[in-house]
Amino acid sequence: MEFTLLGAALLAAAAVYGVLYYEARRANALECTRELWDVVLIAAMSGVLAGRLAAMVIGGTNPLTNLPDVLIVRSGVDTGWASLTALAVFGVSARRDLWRIADAVAPAALAGLAAWHAACTMRGACLGTPSDLPWAVASEGSAVGRHPVEIYAALALLAGAIVLIVGKRRHPPAGMVGAAALLIAALVRLLTEPLRPVIGAGPTAWYGAGAAVGAALALWRWRVGRRSSS
Amino acid sequence: MRRVASLVVVLALTGTACSSVSVPIDDVPELPPTTPEDVAALLETSDTPVVLNVWASWCVPCRSEAPLLRAAHAQHGDAVRFVGVAVEDGQRDARGFIAEFGLTGFEHLFDRPGTVPASLGGRGVPLTFFFAPGGDLVHLHRGVIDERTLALQIDELVRLVG
Repeated sequence: MEFTLLGAALLAAAAVYGVLYYEARRANALECTRELWDVVLIAAMSGVLAGRLAAMVIGGTNPLTNLPDVLIVRSGVDTGWASLTALAVFGVSARRDLWRIADAVAPAALAGLAAWHAACTMRGACLGTPSDLPWAVASEGSAVGRHPVEIYAALALLAGAIVLIVGKRRHPPAGMVGAAALLIAALVRLLTEPLRPVIGAGPTAWYGAGAAVGAALALWRWRVGRRSSS
Repeated sequence: MRRVASLVVVLALTGTACSSVSVPIDDVPELPPTTPEDVAALLETSDTPVVLNVWASWCVPCRSEAPLLRAAHAQHGDAVRFVGVAVEDGQRDARGFIAEFGLTGFEHLFDRPGTVPASLGGRGVPLTFFFAPGGDLVHLHRGVIDERTLALQIDELVRLVG
């Protein structure tokens, strides 16, 4: 793994841990911070590994015969498979009380994603499609202004994390905060994806599916909560 | 659960083998030897932007970025000229690399002593140079290139011409 990517990963991890620690004394009565951290870390690492393997397979490289390539994460991680795997592993790790644990880690997960996107400043990878807007930024030696798309994503995810932290104080039905986090994360990627430079079709369909699943889960948990309270 | 996961992995790997982009090595011609002067002339006379990738068959990161370059060539090959320079390599190994990753769509040159990258201002492998028509260097990416950087720099090149 390259050092700038490692730096971005560390920043994201620090953001996750920071929010878990902050929430531990306010909203997360169920689990201690370290246990929640383990659940998030295992899910995230499994997701990165699966996403890298998927990217290799899709690119026509057999991971079994080119094992060292797995470590070169910069060449691509398939976000769709990474997210699916992370969610599946999270589901297995947190199965004893899935909805409450999902609610407990949701704001931290969004904050971690926000930090990961904001770390584009370390990696020199913030810029997207051309733009004439006043805040457009040109890459070094270029006259073409571009959307700082990763900063948009970071700000939107940070706003989502804050909304969830505040929303949790109102004691929403179990699972709703976690579902809302999935909806927000997928929606942010879906809306910012057209502003990113890509090779090929891009994973927009995955983000659309993620947003739909997140919205359906949030609605379901809200209805279940209403039914049990009435 | 474990059985299902194992089945998915086996199917995925089988799918990789079946959808492989590899071509027989005999379909890949000998790579023409090149020198820094040849490459400079190629860049000066090119009326389209050039993406020049320096690679070697023994370089693990080069293997890793090869599928991305193939995809970029498939998408932008009509507007941008893609050139691969194999350095410090053997002919058969270099041809094997091209065959394995199906990189037959764009031209490759053979720089056995590895003098071309230094003449262009780069060191090590992999390197990806982005040149405007006429040979002006727009950007040099050292190390493994990622999709965003490759797409962004190609877009910059295309806009220089357009």
